[in-house]
Amino acid sequence: MFHIDFKFSQAHLIVPRIIGWVLAILLVAILVRRIIRCIKTKEPFFNKDFRLLVKGWDKVRLIGYLVLLCLYPLAMQAIHFLPASIIFMFLFNVIFNGVEQVKGFVEGIKTKEGWSNPGFRSIIISLIVSVVSSVLIWLIFGTLFKITLP
Amino acid sequence: MGGITFQFQYLLMSLLGVGVGIIFGALPGMTATMAIAIFLPLTYAYDLNTSLYLLLGLYVGGISGGLIPAILVNIPGTPSSICTGFDGHPMAMRGEGERALKIGITASFIGGMVSLVFLWFFTPPLAKFAINFGAVEKFLIILFAMTIIAALSKGDMLMGIFSGFVGVLISLMGNFAYNGMNRMIPTSGILKLRMRNGFSLLPVMIGLFALMQIFQEAETGMKENDFKTNLDTQTRKFKFSDLKGQGINFIRSAIIGTFVGVLPGVGGSAASLLSYSQAKNFSKHPEELGKGSVEGLVASECANNGLTGGALIPLLSLGIPGDSTTAVLVGAFLLQGVTVGPLFISQNPILWKSILLGLFIANIFMFLLMFYPIKWISKVINLPKGRLYPVIILLCVVGSYSANNGNMFDVWSMILFGFGFYILNKFGMTTAPFLIGFILGKNLEEYFIDAIQGSGGSLGIFFSSTIGNVIWVLIAASIFYSVWDATKESRKARKAAKAAK
Repeated sequence: MFHIDFKFSQAHLIVPRIIGWVLAILLVAILVRRIIRCIKTKEPFFNKDFRLLVKGWDKVRLIGYLVLLCLYPLAMQAIHFLPASIIFMFLFNVIFNGVEQVKGFVEGIKTKEGWSNPGFRSIIISLIVSVVSSVLIWLIFGTLFKITLP
Repeated sequence: MGGITFQFQYLLMSLLGVGVGIIFGALPGMTATMAIAIFLPLTYAYDLNTSLYLLLGLYVGGISGGLIPAILVNIPGTPSSICTGFDGHPMAMRGEGERALKIGITASFIGGMVSLVFLWFFTPPLAKFAINFGAVEKFLIILFAMTIIAALSKGDMLMGIFSGFVGVLISLMGNFAYNGMNRMIPTSGILKLRMRNGFSLLPVMIGLFALMQIFQEAETGMKENDFKTNLDTQTRKFKFSDLKGQGINFIRSAIIGTFVGVLPGVGGSAASLLSYSQAKNFSKHPEELGKGSVEGLVASECANNGLTGGALIPLLSLGIPGDSTTAVLVGAFLLQGVTVGPLFISQNPILWKSILLGLFIANIFMFLLMFYPIKWISKVINLPKGRLYPVIILLCVVGSYSANNGNMFDVWSMILFGFGFYILNKFGMTTAPFLIGFILGKNLEEYFIDAIQGSGGSLGIFFSSTIGNVIWVLIAASIFYSVWDATKESRKARKAAKAAK
């Protein structure tokens, strides 16, 4: 038990196997502790009140963020860094600040309220933020510091 | 500070770091760790010396900025400011907001300076002592760091250790340099090539500390802050004489902060809590703490900035990060090809002096940037997160992509770890032990293999040295303490539940 058969060709598996065993033991310990706690407090093993996501979670922001995050690298590969960044920064801005602003934007144009309509204002700010931040980062990182950009 | 060619650029980077750090610290939900992780890619363009001024500025600014929302709206900007609001907010409520902020800033400055002195004096002897460590001792020190992280951070010890070892396992993916064999990666296809060196540190860090945070905010609807912070009408102005009689409190709190910083993984919230409770124990008027007492405010803020120097002591002497922020700093060193550990100071004397000077300048800038224009600086707590997060995502993508000179696989790794840990976090997995395990995993393996190779496979080697046995005792003590503490806490909780019935 206190000896490890050390073979050069198998050396790369020694530590991962030990860590695997440690993790398995820890997992069993966590389960045993849970069982003991359940017996003591008479609560069910699987907590019925457990929720993966908080009650009333924001579907648009969370799913929108995940989807955009996955599409952004693909878009960068397809249409390059700057155009992809401007488009996705705009979309992130719209999603994080509330998609209802799009409706307000359309209303603002129809009623000719323009800047005084909050939705219109928010979309224009989103557009400015996305263009300015993307161009600035492209200039600072890509041109000034010569850091490789997608 | 002989040997350092001081450049104007250093001051500029420090100033930039402190300024940005204050903003990150002041915005609830954004942390110093996040700031450093995001700004790491900017350091590619500079040498390590210059980069350090930026990163240390972000560190000091990030920790200090947390006091602004804690005092003005009773929401700590960072976990380190958890006790600052106890006394700072009541002061703000009675029209002494500016006074409270200035007391907090001064306490932060003194805490940072005291911890710098400790860093200066204690790191070299500790490193000198650790130079004699062989593979066995180095292996055990990492093991000790991993158990203490889980044991001392209040919470679930088993899950903490589990998270740490998952980090170790993931760090081992890819090629093992010793015999050139691959493990735990696909055996064919594009991923075999991409994952030959496993997951890179930077994308993992950015995923854990930036993207994951945004996932959590997105889930809850990313509510914008609309804090009312009126500092124009003040009932009492700040005078330095307000701090009269706080000398011992300053020193005690700074020492507590530094000491807590030395212990791996404990974090600023524990420093703040411990220092606050000690201030209450030693106070002549303990009943005043929590009602707007200068004593409580000084204790909390002095301790959390004391942490900055303290957390760098184990990092620069043993190569073990003291908290998640210094863990990210390890990334900066690794990216520049510098290994931190017992030989760091003797092999990099100029870099060591740069760290001390960088921390000193960052503390001065923090004081100047926050103390005088605090009325304007305090407005940053209302910056709209919905506008900031997209820019942060952009910086994250650029940073990850450039980690290995342009590799889209790193961007996917960042997304994978950000989303993966957002989900795993809900099952109790913790990020700080995971990251520290991930950073130290390869070293852990290297020392283990070196040790058993020397002993011909006998595990008895790990019990053969005196220092090694002392570390075993410390490992056992940290586990026993944790079990004892958990039992005590659960007994307390059961009693409270019974009483409530």
